[in-house]
Amino acid sequence: MDDEYNEELGKRKAIYVPYSQAVPLKYAIDPDNCLYLTKGRCGTCETVCPSHAINYLDQEKEITLNVGSVVLSTGFKSFDPSKLDYLSFGKHPDIVTAMGFERVLSATGPQGGHLVLPSDKKHKKEPKKIAWLQCVGSRDENRCNNGYCSSVCCMYAVKQSVMAKDHSKVPLDCAVFYMDMRTQGKDFDRYLENAKENGVRFVRSRVHSVYPDRDKGDLVVGYVDELGVMVTEHFDMVVLSTGLEISADSFELATTMGIELDRSNFIKTDSFNPVSTSMPGVYACGVFTGPKDIPQSVMEASAAASAATENLALARHSKTQAITIPKQRDVAGESPRIGVFVCNCGTNIGGIVDVPAVAEYARHLSGVVYVEENLFTCSQDTQDKMVEVIREKKLNRIVIAACTPKTHEDLFRETLIDAGLNKYLVEMANIRNQDSWVHSNAPERATAKAKDLVRMAIAKALHLAPLFESQLPVSPAALVVGGGITGMTAALALSRQGYPVTLVEQNQTLGGNGRLLHKTAKNEAVAVFVRKIISEVEADERVHVLLGSTVQGVEGFVGNFKTTVATGDDTRIVDHGVALLATGAKESRPEAYCYGEHDAVMTLLDLDARFAENAAVVDRAENVVFIQCVGSRNPAHPYCSKVCCTHAIRSAITLKRKNPETGVYVLYRDIRTYGQREFLYREARELGILFFQYDVDNTPVVTPGEDHVTVTFTDHVLGRPLAVDADILCLAARIDAWDNTRLGQAFKVTSDNDGWFLEAHQKLRPVDFATDGVFLCGMAHYPKPVDESISQARAAAARALTVLSRDSINVGGIVAEINRERCGGCGGCVAVCSYNAITIDPEKHVAVVNDALCKGCGACAATCPSEAPSLMGFNNEQLYAQIKSAMTV
Amino acid sequence: MKEEVFEPKIVAFMCNWCTYGAADLAGVSRMQYPSNTRIIRVMCSASVSPHHILRAFQSKADGVLVGG
Repeated sequence: MDDEYNEELGKRKAIYVPYSQAVPLKYAIDPDNCLYLTKGRCGTCETVCPSHAINYLDQEKEITLNVGSVVLSTGFKSFDPSKLDYLSFGKHPDIVTAMGFERVLSATGPQGGHLVLPSDKKHKKEPKKIAWLQCVGSRDENRCNNGYCSSVCCMYAVKQSVMAKDHSKVPLDCAVFYMDMRTQGKDFDRYLENAKENGVRFVRSRVHSVYPDRDKGDLVVGYVDELGVMVTEHFDMVVLSTGLEISADSFELATTMGIELDRSNFIKTDSFNPVSTSMPGVYACGVFTGPKDIPQSVMEASAAASAATENLALARHSKTQAITIPKQRDVAGESPRIGVFVCNCGTNIGGIVDVPAVAEYARHLSGVVYVEENLFTCSQDTQDKMVEVIREKKLNRIVIAACTPKTHEDLFRETLIDAGLNKYLVEMANIRNQDSWVHSNAPERATAKAKDLVRMAIAKALHLAPLFESQLPVSPAALVVGGGITGMTAALALSRQGYPVTLVEQNQTLGGNGRLLHKTAKNEAVAVFVRKIISEVEADERVHVLLGSTVQGVEGFVGNFKTTVATGDDTRIVDHGVALLATGAKESRPEAYCYGEHDAVMTLLDLDARFAENAAVVDRAENVVFIQCVGSRNPAHPYCSKVCCTHAIRSAITLKRKNPETGVYVLYRDIRTYGQREFLYREARELGILFFQYDVDNTPVVTPGEDHVTVTFTDHVLGRPLAVDADILCLAARIDAWDNTRLGQAFKVTSDNDGWFLEAHQKLRPVDFATDGVFLCGMAHYPKPVDESISQARAAAARALTVLSRDSINVGGIVAEINRERCGGCGGCVAVCSYNAITIDPEKHVAVVNDALCKGCGACAATCPSEAPSLMGFNNEQLYAQIKSAMTV
Repeated sequence: MKEEVFEPKIVAFMCNWCTYGAADLAGVSRMQYPSNTRIIRVMCSASVSPHHILRAFQSKADGVLVGG
């Protein structure tokens, strides 16, 4: 039957693993298509399954759980384009959805990652021209009632076009048809510019029809170009950039629970409580609350965890059960007794590698006293048996020939602990990922390699020694740097979890940029919220606010920081286990368009100030012009400031609603009202606000007049210059990062080329720094609106809790150790250590490793001419044994 | 007489956090490559010293790959 995971581009069976990275990686029966379940015939899987794992009688079970909070994160469904007949989806195999194209490019996909036309897989015919059609099922109320922007499609289309060019063996012509390129995320604009340099064509047009050319067999794309000319162009393949929407199941879940939804069926949230639903105790994250990308979804997931556990903080650890760990056997002095477990991994290894031959081979190697073959070494019953065998045979080193230590080493270490062995006495031979899977075409060679890998692992195992960890207590307090909305949110989130917080703010007031903002995208008054949160912070006994204060220096490491904070001439030392950096950003002062030279010219924040003070000019203005991207998205500052399109349109609407007679003009490059903000853009156009697109090489010209400025720009449709006498010219000035060099050095964290703090992983660890125990949030990470800053603040608090809620942290294990006899105190290792983990003892003149800071990279060991440092678990003796063994049969 | 085909033996030092993971992914993706390499997992390519490389050549490796 059609494989839904592969967007029906491939086939699967009625018993199947949904996808290759499925967790758990287990087969499931499709009850709608299983012959046994539907017609009572077949039953083959039950007869062939060696583990007797098939249970046809298994039924759906209803489980009742008593919980304190609920988090909804059911995600999205990709828009089904077959509803839109003008796209001919389903009428030609080479018209695919973006999800389908992901599968085409994927190495685990139906075409093995080869870019060939789905219509001619047999001859492996490669496409030479591919078109991406943006906004399919998004920004469209006429054809599908999805008025919002799906936020992620522009970026994924750019990514797919770049990857397609990479994959293609022939020069590939990629064209993206779009209305506005919305690459507002961190580093996304750079990626877009690189794609343009790589030759991806970006055509600003909404395609009106796609149809197969019966004679040529390819596809015709019909559109109107920017000059209004009808164009038809032939393509080999068309990718529909389908939007995100809420599935019928999610809709039913929310409505059954009585949770309020917005007009597009996303869960309704407000900007100040972005992960809370209308029902107390029920929280939501990810696309269920609105279209968003992976980093934002990951942040919200942590944010929801923070919000959902706040009211449960008192019950923390009340249901945890302590594990009883058997006493560790002392193996010092014993000669090696190695047990080797060779895994078949079902047929993953056993289907290619001759596992019995490998096991037999291992039996005769030095130090080996026990060898066993397993169907699945990782299965629970094998683990239990392994514990018995280790005890019974008095094994003191274990070699597992199976998959990769990256996924399974921890599991086997646990097994050793259960068997009373030091957990570092296990070594794995990777005979699946790095052998049977990559040499499935050459089984004999795979078997020979498996024997070599097992021999190498045994050679190392002979030299394995127990390693020990020590526990350091965690200082249960947090330091938050930055007293804006983000910093205050983070501080309150941690305080509500029961931890004291020191909040350091360099200004004499709390509130940061929040004091300067008028309204959010959802028209909520920011000032009201800022006043409320400041009073909450001030009233909170656990939050200690230090105004007019800066961080001078930091010592220590995760769990045990000592930070020097200066307040005026006073300095104090703060003990804390974690630090959250929420230093924010600032609106830049434009150096163009007569800013600072004429009173009519102001920035978005200047205009917000005029709104706040009900300035006369706001009511009086006959014409108001907004210029977007002032100082952003240029070679010197190649990033999008993300907030300005929405901010400008919000302000434009405020002006237009105050006085409908005011002429309001927005001069833009791409309108980036992503997500539900698109409705704001629509509202603006409906109110008669006029939008004109300008090119980066043809920017508007501003001439100062007496009480106004004249703005001249080119109208794209007319192709003629237009001039407006503006009483207010509002510039969407770039958002700049603060200079965080000193703070960064103190906490050993880095910033990117644009000055934003650099997270540990852009997609998956968006609030962690690479340095343990230090977290980032808010605009210091990248420009973002209030709701996203609050999500990120809560996310950082949740991540910080993973440290604070522990009594102690384990240090040691795979870390460097210095042989003092050999150390000459030269400091070579100190110079190469990226983590500042090594110091020279001033009295003894030898290097000393701080186990808590050492990341176990071993750079010191490779640098030292005297081989004084060695990386535990990867020392030279072990490595030399492995090298020698690799070469000697 | 049968001609012997040259089968190079290559010792590959691979960083646990990148290249070793990439080699795992090559497996997950079922890519196929010659079986002549013997991978040694290290915790960082910076921990591979000239001694390790020379030791591999002394042990008759035809090539050494350091991935990191």
